[in-house]
Amino acid sequence: MPRYAMVIDLQRCVGCGACSIACRNENNVPEGIYWSNKITETVGTFPNVRYHYIPTLCNHCEYAPCVRGCPTKAMHKLDNGITMHNPNKCIGCKYCEFNCPYGVIYFNWETPHKFWRDKKAEIQGGTASPQEVVKDVGAKSVPYYNPEREATYAGIRPKGVVEKCTFCDHRVKKGMLPRCVEACPADARVFGDISDPKSDVSVLLGKFRSFRLREQIGTNPHVFYIRDFNPAAYQPTKGGV
Amino acid sequence: MSEKKGLFGVWLAVLGIGIVVGLITTVKLFSQGHSLFNANDVLLWTLPLGAYIFLALASSGLTLLSAVPLVFGVKKYEPFAKRLVFLAIATLCGAFVSIGLELGSIFHMIYIMLSPNISSPIWWMGAIYSVELVVLIVKFFLMHKGDWHSGFSKFLALASFILALAAPLMIGSVFGITESRVTYFGPVMSIYCLLMAFLSGTALFIVYSLVVNRVTGNGVPVELYDEFALIFTYAAGVVTVFTLLKYAIESATVVPEFLVYRQFEHAFGTVGVFHSEVLLGLFLPLVLLLIPSVRKTVAGKILTSALVLAGTLLMHMEILLAGQSHPVGPKAEQFAPFISYFPSIWEILVFVFALTIMLLIYTLGERYLKLTEAPQ
Ligand code: SF4
Ligand code: SF4
Repeated sequence: MPRYAMVIDLQRCVGCGACSIACRNENNVPEGIYWSNKITETVGTFPNVRYHYIPTLCNHCEYAPCVRGCPTKAMHKLDNGITMHNPNKCIGCKYCEFNCPYGVIYFNWETPHKFWRDKKAEIQGGTASPQEVVKDVGAKSVPYYNPEREATYAGIRPKGVVEKCTFCDHRVKKGMLPRCVEACPADARVFGDISDPKSDVSVLLGKFRSFRLREQIGTNPHVFYIRDFNPAAYQPTKGGV
Repeated sequence: MSEKKGLFGVWLAVLGIGIVVGLITTVKLFSQGHSLFNANDVLLWTLPLGAYIFLALASSGLTLLSAVPLVFGVKKYEPFAKRLVFLAIATLCGAFVSIGLELGSIFHMIYIMLSPNISSPIWWMGAIYSVELVVLIVKFFLMHKGDWHSGFSKFLALASFILALAAPLMIGSVFGITESRVTYFGPVMSIYCLLMAFLSGTALFIVYSLVVNRVTGNGVPVELYDEFALIFTYAAGVVTVFTLLKYAIESATVVPEFLVYRQFEHAFGTVGVFHSEVLLGLFLPLVLLLIPSVRKTVAGKILTSALVLAGTLLMHMEILLAGQSHPVGPKAEQFAPFISYFPSIWEILVFVFALTIMLLIYTLGERYLKLTEAPQ
């Protein structure tokens, strides 16, 4: 059985956000919820400052606190290492969200995709209402609805339950890459089986010293970061007193 | 007599309004969703959960107190036992209302039984409190039928005592095992919850019994409460020592999460390093209780226990909110560095509904179930 992992090459990542947009389309992610997200940081003191961008997603932790704490096993591990969620079993206690050290789980506080249920046209008699647009394209809830998501997970998760990244388990099952990996224009995301020493992820992790988010907590995250994007140069110096 | 009857009618009408409002809140919440709460993906658990913790712990405290006559056989406390068990049941029902309305999808609750996760403290908490409720109800029924000392009745008393010890530990561990939120103090949180349970249960019992005695004019002679007031003083003392220890650690540590926590504007304000709710809801009543002339009066007992009750609710809220005050990881992109909070009207109504259910059960029990009865 493979053990899936992702390596994100921060030298290649240009911070374009294509991963996040692709993820929203693929998984019908509602407004306010981010399966694919980012941490941005500004370091230094003006005028010596620099901006850092770290793409984030569920780390599919080996020792996942979200799974350990879920009272109904709605949040569970698949044999391939993916942390999966079952909205039918989810009682909406939000304990997984409370427990996740990475801030990647979100709760559906109301019926998702509210905007697209609006019956009011922006210009009366001129434009179609959001609801009409959805009806016209024959979609479910959102005009860009992706029915393929339904293969392994609710196409749109109902209000009162949580949701998060599933490493696109529905695509992986069919031998396809997660959508964010496919969409990345810079090939900054590399996906594969970490238990196979010949896989691209294993090769990269042998070549570069990687880091993971909040490693010290002991969750054994399976999203690894390598390298860093920094074109800055400086004159060799020994500093001074 | 007729004046009392009139007052009772008004009281029932108030409770009736509470029930109607509660039912409307329930329908509204499950049709519109929990966006009606002033919670978000950073501040996940708010007043309804704080109310649950407060009520559930108070119920455990009441059960622990009932063990004094029922498990440890202190006969002179037997006139309190039936009322203690009944109050524990009613308070726990209030807690269940609050947590039920806090959950997003109560219709999936069946999976708690069909797909239990025994590594989850939430599962254990739910399981223990559910079993405890059943045990308490059966125990109460037996007592009501006059069976106080049969083997089975004694077994139930012992079982409820053990469950009431375990449940607060489990509530504490819901927070305590969260390795990424160190400001909840890890395993120590369980001990804290157990102590708080005993303190709030004792306070609730004293204030309730003395008020009922005043209103109905019948019940156990008030002098008997002096010993309870002493137990109450010890409980407040122990929680005070624990709280001071917590303050010492909080203000001395340089663990990053605590440094962030220290910057946080505390929910109910501070005087120096001390939170207002701790000063007014714990330290002040303890000082008052240490003065025998205050402790021995009915008014003194009611005042101190009311202060402690309000204090414990606010202390639970403060701890709950402070641990979720800043966004985790990428959520900082979407949310402010610190989240401020004031409950929405719907959250307040959930609390009102929980209290109404609890008070309605108290009222009916007091009226029809001879709560101060003791074995012959
Ligand atoms: S990143 Fe969070 S949601 Fe994902 S497996 Fe780890 S703890 Fe669970
Ligand atoms: S919100 Fe759902 S998935 Fe998360 S811990 Fe609760 S029941 Fe499990």
